Amino acid sequence: MNKSVTGKGHNVTPLQDSSRRSERSKDQWSQLLERVGASHDRDAFHQLFEHFGPQIKYYAISNGIANQAEELVQEVMISIWRRASTYDWRKAAASTWIFTIARNQRIDMLRKIQRGSAEMAIETEDLWQIPGDDEKDPVPSLHRIFAERRIRESFQHLPEEQVSVLAKVYLEHKSHQEVAHEMDIPLGTVKSRVRLALSKLKVILQDQDL
Amino acid sequence: MSVHHPDEMLLTEYSAGTLTEPMALCVRMHLERCDQCRSQLDMLNSLGAIMLDHSHHASKVSDDLFDSILTRLDDPEQEAESREKPSVTDSRSPLEKMLGTDLQSLPWKRQLADVSVCDLSDYFPGDERVTLQKLCAGGRAPSHTHGGKEATLVLTGAFADGNGVFSKGDFVILDQHHDHQPVALHGEDCITLSVLDAPVRLTGRLTRLLNPFIR
Repeated sequence: MNKSVTGKGHNVTPLQDSSRRSERSKDQWSQLLERVGASHDRDAFHQLFEHFGPQIKYYAISNGIANQAEELVQEVMISIWRRASTYDWRKAAASTWIFTIARNQRIDMLRKIQRGSAEMAIETEDLWQIPGDDEKDPVPSLHRIFAERRIRESFQHLPEEQVSVLAKVYLEHKSHQEVAHEMDIPLGTVKSRVRLALSKLKVILQDQDL
Repeated sequence: MSVHHPDEMLLTEYSAGTLTEPMALCVRMHLERCDQCRSQLDMLNSLGAIMLDHSHHASKVSDDLFDSILTRLDDPEQEAESREKPSVTDSRSPLEKMLGTDLQSLPWKRQLADVSVCDLSDYFPGDERVTLQKLCAGGRAPSHTHGGKEATLVLTGAFADGNGVFSKGDFVILDQHHDHQPVALHGEDCITLSVLDAPVRLTGRLTRLLNPFIR
């Protein structure tokens, strides 16, 4: 598994040719995903599996569905295979796109377990969209790529107490209220840690009403 | 473009996939009309990907897992199943798809002169009370406060109260600190989608009697 190439570490070289520049803007995983989409390339698919499979398994376990962890990996990988042709690197990095698929499959799995045979009134993907599925969406491309790169870089500098709160929200499926309860800190502290983290990552602007 | 947005905590919980179904629906319906929140959500989803990739967050998978996946991909029955899913773009909103009809044709129940309600709670698991509320154009709802938290998303028309004007796509959370008396603007009925985690309390002198009916 080659972990050093995930998004950061790319040299931004000014290029005249915009299509070549766009090739450069794609990270390794986005290129692999496009190969799967274009020609059902099994070698590319295997490389994606090697990298993301273990992450998705960890995600399932931390979310409390350890018994279905490999089932989730299967569902996510199959979904990636089937939808790869709709993937648009300009709308999301491959890792982001795969995260949203894993998140939706996890939600879907939990909904099915809770509901049993009862029919769902609304599809998971009508509630939680996969980026790029909506054709009305504008194409933010470079702006998005820079934002993503910036988030990745700033993330390295977040203090552990902020990272651990975010980890509970993102990886353990906990509401802010539940995080507060579990870490035995006031809800206000949880919220201020999340806000501080988001403002350092520039997901929210400093002067935005808090 | 919306003026009133879900806050970043709510968007974070949406991105992480921890919101309840009705709350996710409200946020989703807001995102339909709000580029600003969509762009924030893109960033939050990137954060989700980073969390997934973060340091040692990986668990070894079984040696034969990849082969099982390939076997499923090669299974003609499964392939056929995946192709059955309609790929036609459905331009209806998630709410309309769920209801299978337009808002006006729903079985509205009139509760007060200007207020009609349609209860959607049965569509969802959980204890939240999910309703569509219709305040007729120019109509006035009784003054009330909220026992718990009520997320409101404006679907059509607009209403105004002491906190401002809320129009199509706007998202607002009302709680016990807001004693509000919404008035619908003229021209169009104001229909909102509301998700309430505890009953509403009427605060007007006479309308207090109606309390059991407007929950």
